Amino acid sequence: MEGIPISLAELLKAHPERRYLMFGGKGGLGKTTFSAAAGYHLAKQGHKVLVFSVDPQASLSDIFEQDLFGKGPVKIMDNLWAQEIDADRRIKAYQDEIRQKIRDMYGFTDLPEEIESYIQAASAEPAMEESAIFDAVVDIMVTGEYDYYIYDLVPLGHALYYLSMATVYDAWIGKITSLREQMREYDQVAAHLKRGDATLDEDAILEELLYIKDRIQTSSRILTDRERTAFFFVLVPEEMIILDTVKAAELFSRFKVPISGYVVNRVLPQELWTEEIPEFLRNRIELQVRHLAKIRETFGNQVLTQVPELERDITGLPMISRVADYLFT
Amino acid sequence: MTKKEKTGFLKALKEFVYGMAAHDSARFALKTRANMEHLFMLVTMGDLVGVPLLPPYYSLRLLPYVVPQIATWKRRLLREKDLTDALA
Repeated sequence: MEGIPISLAELLKAHPERRYLMFGGKGGLGKTTFSAAAGYHLAKQGHKVLVFSVDPQASLSDIFEQDLFGKGPVKIMDNLWAQEIDADRRIKAYQDEIRQKIRDMYGFTDLPEEIESYIQAASAEPAMEESAIFDAVVDIMVTGEYDYYIYDLVPLGHALYYLSMATVYDAWIGKITSLREQMREYDQVAAHLKRGDATLDEDAILEELLYIKDRIQTSSRILTDRERTAFFFVLVPEEMIILDTVKAAELFSRFKVPISGYVVNRVLPQELWTEEIPEFLRNRIELQVRHLAKIRETFGNQVLTQVPELERDITGLPMISRVADYLFT
Repeated sequence: MTKKEKTGFLKALKEFVYGMAAHDSARFALKTRANMEHLFMLVTMGDLVGVPLLPPYYSLRLLPYVVPQIATWKRRLLREKDLTDALA
């Protein structure tokens, strides 16, 4: 826990090496809004920014008022690009690549039924979508042409899955690769004994495994790197949300994902107090004040900023700009 | 036996013994390797028999390289007796 209260703006300024930003939290609390606003702010400051999402509900398209889905990086304004990954399309394209590769390697016109049904069965697994998304994000992370990468994570469960997958894949790929390397050693022994020479063909499978291993490790190294990644939790002043956030924070620390701070959204403006307000609204405001106190108590100096409830939906650059102002005071 | 014949015989015997040892070692190496291949196939392509271990996006990437082995491997997996037991 940091001792001195710090704002989001100060945090980013103090740590320019933190280039991978993520806003996480339960659905509907403002992750996409903040991702867009942060992207806007940083782009205005002259940095080259990519805001991306894997959410099939295409919320980035909604907020930027353009169709981004499956179109690669789309320029929103100077220095700001946005991208929505179409996982289904990626999987289909990938399947075709594999099919073609098999045809080329073995001279088939049609694939054997067994192989084709394997391709279809593998692609129908729920884990296929997750791992395709994982790989798509790796693609984005390894290109390295942006100053800032803002990853608008889908609601919490998926985010944790995604982050834990990096660690799990890492362990597995390590084991599988070393198994393959051991096999190769035995190959060499056998070849040496039989023919007296130890030259073997390159093990193409081992090459592929090392490629996969490298991609997985690159991605997981970035995500768990406190120096390079900043993860912000978005919450609102409501009891259940506070409880859920505490639980989620514990889970994240177990996966060694560094949480850089909390941002409180949807705070009813204090100005409302001074006017004649209905009892209903007065109660809501009082309740919020209590919850805000609870948040301060629970998360202390890790609360970076509070953003008010605005009078209308956040869509389009002008509204995003307003949110950015609040987010980065 | 003359000395020359004896040397010749011993040499041949030595080569024969070494040859057999090498052959056995080679067979051991191959057998162990075959078992490892089996394990490897299970881990990477386990989806085929309903045992998903490697993320499907990545195991699909390996598919082209293991195409020739899939038919034989599946058969071996489902047999009661292992083929390599016959070699033992």
